[in-house]
Amino acid sequence: MITTWYGIVSFMLITYVVLDGRNFGAGMLHWLVARTPEERRQVVAAIGPLWSWHEVWLVAFGGTVMAVFPRLLASSFAGYYLALFLILWCLILRGMALEVGGHINDRLWQGFWDFVFVVSSFLLAILFGAAGGNLARGVPLDAHGNFSMPFFTDFKVRGNVGLLDWYTVSIAIFATIMLAAHGATYLTLKTEGPVRDRSASYAKWLWALVAPLLIIISLETWIVRPDLSGNEIRNPVCWLGIVVIIVSSCVLASGLRNQHEMRAFIGSNLLIVGMLATGAATIFPVMLYSTLAPENSLTAYTVAASPDSLLLAAVWWPVAFIMSVSYFIFVSRHYHGKINVKRNNQSFY
Amino acid sequence: MNSIFSDAAFWHRLQFAFTITYHYLFPQLTMGLAWFIVWWKWRALRTGEEKYNQAARFWAKIFGLNFGVGVVTGIPMEFQFGTNWADFTRYSGGVIGQTLGMEGMFAFFLESAFVGALIWGEKRLGPRNHFLAAIAVATGSWLSSYFILVTNAFMQYPTGYSVAPDGSLGIASLSAYLLNPWALVQFAHNQTAAVVTGSFVVAALGAFYSLRGLHLAQTRLYLRGGTLVGLIASLIVAFPTGDQQAKMVGDHQPVTLAAMEGKFVGGDMAGVSVIGQPNVKERRLDNPIEVPGALSFLAYGTFQSYVHGLNEYPEDEWPDNIELLYYAFHLMITLGTIFILIMGYATFENWRGTLESNPWLLWVLMLAFPFPYIANTLGWMTTELGRQPWLIYGLFHTRDGYSKVVSNGDTIFTLIGFTGLYFILGLLFLYLVGREIGHGPDDGCAPGIGEEPAL
Repeated sequence: MITTWYGIVSFMLITYVVLDGRNFGAGMLHWLVARTPEERRQVVAAIGPLWSWHEVWLVAFGGTVMAVFPRLLASSFAGYYLALFLILWCLILRGMALEVGGHINDRLWQGFWDFVFVVSSFLLAILFGAAGGNLARGVPLDAHGNFSMPFFTDFKVRGNVGLLDWYTVSIAIFATIMLAAHGATYLTLKTEGPVRDRSASYAKWLWALVAPLLIIISLETWIVRPDLSGNEIRNPVCWLGIVVIIVSSCVLASGLRNQHEMRAFIGSNLLIVGMLATGAATIFPVMLYSTLAPENSLTAYTVAASPDSLLLAAVWWPVAFIMSVSYFIFVSRHYHGKINVKRNNQSFY
Repeated sequence: MNSIFSDAAFWHRLQFAFTITYHYLFPQLTMGLAWFIVWWKWRALRTGEEKYNQAARFWAKIFGLNFGVGVVTGIPMEFQFGTNWADFTRYSGGVIGQTLGMEGMFAFFLESAFVGALIWGEKRLGPRNHFLAAIAVATGSWLSSYFILVTNAFMQYPTGYSVAPDGSLGIASLSAYLLNPWALVQFAHNQTAAVVTGSFVVAALGAFYSLRGLHLAQTRLYLRGGTLVGLIASLIVAFPTGDQQAKMVGDHQPVTLAAMEGKFVGGDMAGVSVIGQPNVKERRLDNPIEVPGALSFLAYGTFQSYVHGLNEYPEDEWPDNIELLYYAFHLMITLGTIFILIMGYATFENWRGTLESNPWLLWVLMLAFPFPYIANTLGWMTTELGRQPWLIYGLFHTRDGYSKVVSNGDTIFTLIGFTGLYFILGLLFLYLVGREIGHGPDDGCAPGIGEEPAL
């Protein structure tokens, strides 16, 4: 049961990253791929009316973790206090930019919200990337399962670490580039005209950059956490994840080369899923590793709620999941297809 | 060093209180308004009259802005359980996490999938599906409220839980937890109170346009709907739901009831004080004007019933701010009574057909809309101050629940950050809502395909 729940909450977080990651990517590239006000509105329209549905994956992830792994939520959220509030404030700003940016058809107004949109998207990609790096590297958990840490200490990865060090910074950079590539692939699929062409060329060279960086961060992870390689070899899910990474890379490369937009986008999604799933399977059963002493680490077994709580949550969760996917399909089939430049002209708001 | 800065629990409580109070200004309107929109969409579908579509379209814009601010201010609420109340989460996450998870999975997915379609997708979805989208959003918002109220009810009157060997709580019976009698009563009371806010806002905007002689066909719709629904909802808030809620408190938190009423000494024939100020130091109510026996009757059904007084309980079980609790509760009841009078009179005038020619009453309706917000807030203050000093009544103290690893400076810093950010958010919201109100309901038709911004 605990393994299943570990799988479900990982699935929820991965779904969030894949869905909202493309919105962060589109946000980061907003100024680069769209130059006129009409083109900028096109990018925002491409993100579509379902972005808040994407964000709900993060909220639902938080609620579900609280139900099944309450001690993990307690330790990690309190430990990452300031960093989490930065994320929250950026999410608030990003949400406002998407919602009110189009309300007034005025250059200054839209220019201001475009700025907020770009900056908050960048910060979110960096912060989530650094958070991912922290999960892999571990945090200074004490014997009571508590920690609190500064933004940075000596930039080393062992002992009294900070939020940022050479490893987590490099993961943050990697995540930022990868999400930008993911967003570019999405915009290529959803837009037309110059925005599409610029997005397509960004997608190509950003993904080309991701490939060597992926190898570098894999090596770095091996240096930071040599103990993980044993886990990786023993866990069949990791092998499956690696297969997904290889296959999706081929799908992505072929899609990019042959200008097959849908194929490239599917490859891009699967590649991120493969990477994150491999990561989640590799660290299992440890959910929060202690850099001070491995025995302080929080594992899925030590942070889980009572067996009854896990069982009862397993009753309602699948029902809710099926319902939520069905609403998504119902609504999104009304929004398929490309966002046209002309259709989204000035009269648009 | 002993200054206010060293009281960690205070700062965590203040941050939660501030962010939740601010957040709840928005959902209380959308939950009430959602069913107005459903009703107008339904009338438009049945009669084919364009005025109903215009009303639904206009209010959907107001709804959208409120919903947007509600969403962005709602996300921090869930995170704060982990960031600021880690020890509470560690202790009871296995129980309250169930409903927080359900809220995301059942309610938020439903709302967020359909809200964009409701506001911008009238043409894309077609009349029937657009009507369904309105129902979906309304249902989602009420479901979300139910899950949150179950969570709160557990903190007021815990049911359906078990205690694990390590002392933390787990869930024993999902049905006992979800169908907590406290939650059912609280849901009925809270949701009708949200409808009161919705109907006062609808009526106020009707009065605003009517006094200026604008959009008269629409105005009639808002005034008629707002006053009638407002009267019914104001009555239900008081009786039976408010009455049941008070009885619930009397049965399960007698010390809270005593504090709410400023009853320092228990006795038969307990009165309700219409005016009075609790003087905690002297253990008495200053300048009281009482209706004798009323409290005994309201709480326990007969005028002779015995009502417990604060003197029967050790002081460390008393709510930690009796004055504020007392004022919040009494002012809420006063406002609730005034709402019934205003809406009763307005409904009567409307029935006679003279509402729109009664400028005095229109002025009152126009200016009355902030007061349901105040009353809702006071109601929640009563609930939450009354629960003190417990976080989960009888099980877990508030002072044990906050995150011990977070320094006070960090909490104060984020509290100040929220204050600034929410101030700007409030200005932005007022500006945009003011703009929509300035445009009014008449201009334009449904947004076309491809015209919708990405909401």
